[in-house]
Amino acid sequence: MNIARKLGLRALTLFGVLVAVLVLLVVSLGATGYSDKLLSAQLNEELRGFRQAQAETIRDPAQLEEAVAQRQTELEAFYGLDESWWSRMPSQIWNVLTLDLGDARSLRTADGSSKISDIVLERLPYTMLLLTTASVITAIIGLIVGVRMATRVGSKLDRGVAYFAAISFAVPAWWLGILFILIFAFRLELLPAGGMYGVPPPEDRFDRWLDLAKHAILPVSTLVLVSVGPYIYSVRTMTVTTAMEDHVQLARAKGLSEGYINRRHILRVAAAPIVTGLILGLAGSLGGSILTETVFNWRGMGRLYYDAIVGTPDEGVIVALTFLFTLIYLLARFLLDILYVVLDPRVRY
Amino acid sequence: MELGTPLEQIVTVDETDTGVPDAGTFSLRGAWRVLISSWSGRVGLLMFAIMIGISIYVLTTYPSDFGSQLWSSPKDWADNPKTAAPKWTALWDENAVETQTGTLHEPATTGERGPAAVYDYDWPIAQTSGAFPTFLSTTIEGVRFNGRAPVIVVTLLRPDGGEIRLANLAVPAARTGEDAPVERYFDTPERILLTQSDTAQQSIQAWFDQTYPGDRDTPVTIADLNKALFGIPTGTGFSALQGDYTLRVQMLAADPDDSLQAVSNVYGGNVYGWMGTDSLGRNLWQGLLYGFPIALLIATVTAILATVLGASLGILSGYTGGLTDSVIQRAADIVSNVPILPLLIFLVFIIGPNLSVILLVLVAFSWPGLTILVRSMVLSLRSGQLVEAAQAMGASRWRIMSRHVFPQVAPFIVAQMIFAAPAAILAEASLSFLGLGDPSIPTWGQMLESGFRTGALYVGYWWWVIPPGVLIIVTALAFTLLALAMEQVVDPRLRDQR
Repeated sequence: MNIARKLGLRALTLFGVLVAVLVLLVVSLGATGYSDKLLSAQLNEELRGFRQAQAETIRDPAQLEEAVAQRQTELEAFYGLDESWWSRMPSQIWNVLTLDLGDARSLRTADGSSKISDIVLERLPYTMLLLTTASVITAIIGLIVGVRMATRVGSKLDRGVAYFAAISFAVPAWWLGILFILIFAFRLELLPAGGMYGVPPPEDRFDRWLDLAKHAILPVSTLVLVSVGPYIYSVRTMTVTTAMEDHVQLARAKGLSEGYINRRHILRVAAAPIVTGLILGLAGSLGGSILTETVFNWRGMGRLYYDAIVGTPDEGVIVALTFLFTLIYLLARFLLDILYVVLDPRVRY
Repeated sequence: MELGTPLEQIVTVDETDTGVPDAGTFSLRGAWRVLISSWSGRVGLLMFAIMIGISIYVLTTYPSDFGSQLWSSPKDWADNPKTAAPKWTALWDENAVETQTGTLHEPATTGERGPAAVYDYDWPIAQTSGAFPTFLSTTIEGVRFNGRAPVIVVTLLRPDGGEIRLANLAVPAARTGEDAPVERYFDTPERILLTQSDTAQQSIQAWFDQTYPGDRDTPVTIADLNKALFGIPTGTGFSALQGDYTLRVQMLAADPDDSLQAVSNVYGGNVYGWMGTDSLGRNLWQGLLYGFPIALLIATVTAILATVLGASLGILSGYTGGLTDSVIQRAADIVSNVPILPLLIFLVFIIGPNLSVILLVLVAFSWPGLTILVRSMVLSLRSGQLVEAAQAMGASRWRIMSRHVFPQVAPFIVAQMIFAAPAAILAEASLSFLGLGDPSIPTWGQMLESGFRTGALYVGYWWWVIPPGVLIIVTALAFTLLALAMEQVVDPRLRDQR
């Protein structure tokens, strides 16, 4: 049962990361006074509702003020505004965990809800769609091209991809997106410049999916192009390194066919480190997706960041987004860790 | 790689140069030779030298308040055409109109009208192409008068004989208690946008009615005044009237001693400068050049701080061991597992968009990789003979760490340091693009952001969004190439693979 122990340890580390990030979020909110601001905004909102409700039953203005003031002290105690921010930390961490961050200033969901959790969760599937599609395509291209390159080290293709990898490391995803919009949407008018559906969105369910796919072509290709270069290169290097090991020489000496050696002796062994390459690329594609969504007006969580920053900044939304992005990242890493353990028998014993 | 390989084997040591090599010797000449012998090293160094050259030029010639004041003050860019393409697009674009500017200090003619003096500041304009200017403006600077306030009249003399009154400017008279000579428009020169003037609209309409009756269906509007002034009416639009125009700024002064310091005229085109302008008329070429020292600053400061932090923690962790080691390693574990961009966005948003905050946050997240690497090198060095000998001689821990361990890992650290630089440049650009850049320091990322936010992308202002991105990539690439070449210096086994 060593796998369970290994994965448990890993899960513990990642949970530690999550807690560390949560503490960082809450401490920086508290120390800069943002948490007070957020809570008092919520409090004032409730107080206004209370005053309106009471104004219908209490006619005497002085009595009304008294009732409101009493309610205010109650609420302040309830929200912990009468204490210092660090004594509120545990409850605040809980608030972030449950996305209980009150209402957004001006952002709304499609149905008009202003609850931050509603807004963020509405955007979540779109980000996942973009991110997983791009990652899967990158992994497939990387594996096919990388293994093929490994069989002809030093060829023109090999060198070409090496330069491509170096350049794509230096190209910001969002700038490539801008370039794509200029070329494919503005000059050639082939594909939509942004958004997720045409205006008006198609009625038919199938047509809607088709429309979404059409709008996803540019953002997905942007994400794939910036991450595929380094990934191909790492797959190639892993495969080449494995191909030079003794057990492969032995397999050749035994007269096994090249195809069989490739599948059973090289790829099977290189599989685990190749997954590592995917793990390392994950942080990059996550960051890339935030900016790519912004450029293409893809209404996922990344674009929400931009919407929450420009104009009247919305702290609650930004906290929720930062937490959710961290969570997605950690979950994805854990999934890849499981895959790693499954692929590499050495980890098991 | 075998991290414990002693340095004598790693670094080329020039025997004739340094005599007996010891562990701490790092031959600069040898390293340099390896560096420039590789393709990536040569190109990287060349790009780096060009960037430093441009930075020095910018630092010595730009005003010190360029970023905080000049760049963000629309007034200073008012005389430039807005969203103008680069000048060299005129090579293939026949509709390109070059901006013409002229500043006159002395009047062309001085006349007398009764007791008053008349000063004519004449500025010739050649309309050579079939395209119209985008605007016409004049700026009056420094009027000094003694008695009655002078009146300034702006007229356009057209090749078809038309004398179009464009604007009348009555200089504000002396206030009570103000002594002669009275000074006006010295601190804030008076800029008149002639193509937005009601006077101009009425007089060109009158001229058309008189000279080309019936050639135009609708009255001239302010919106196409720039075409009307330099064209003749044709049914629904205008066709350019080519020939020589004169813009005459006339000062009618009651006293012959009254004076005017300068008249600056602008015939606004639709192309400007090497790199065009943005929607505020800012010269993008200047902004792009200004980005070089900023990018280098961001890259070097982040790289140096992150490397110093990462390497010291690595040496400390590897050499001391025990609890210190565990704590540092757990911390490195956590920090290296954090998704950087979301946290970067959050922290910069909460603390404030300030360049030093951005740099500090970048440093805080970029040390773990180096710490883990350096620790593993130090671990194998610790059990080496050199350290053992030093310990036997009674050297202190601090002395062993700084004198015997550090010099051996130093070359690796330098190579890693350069690797950290492009990441810093890209991170700053990403933050700026999300609107979290330091507003007092224009960077390439911020230029892109303003282009994106104002929708330059969707109307095809490519000169506004492509060059900043290219410069970001080129700068990041220069550091990457340099780092690749440095790796070959510190790891000889890589030298055959270039």
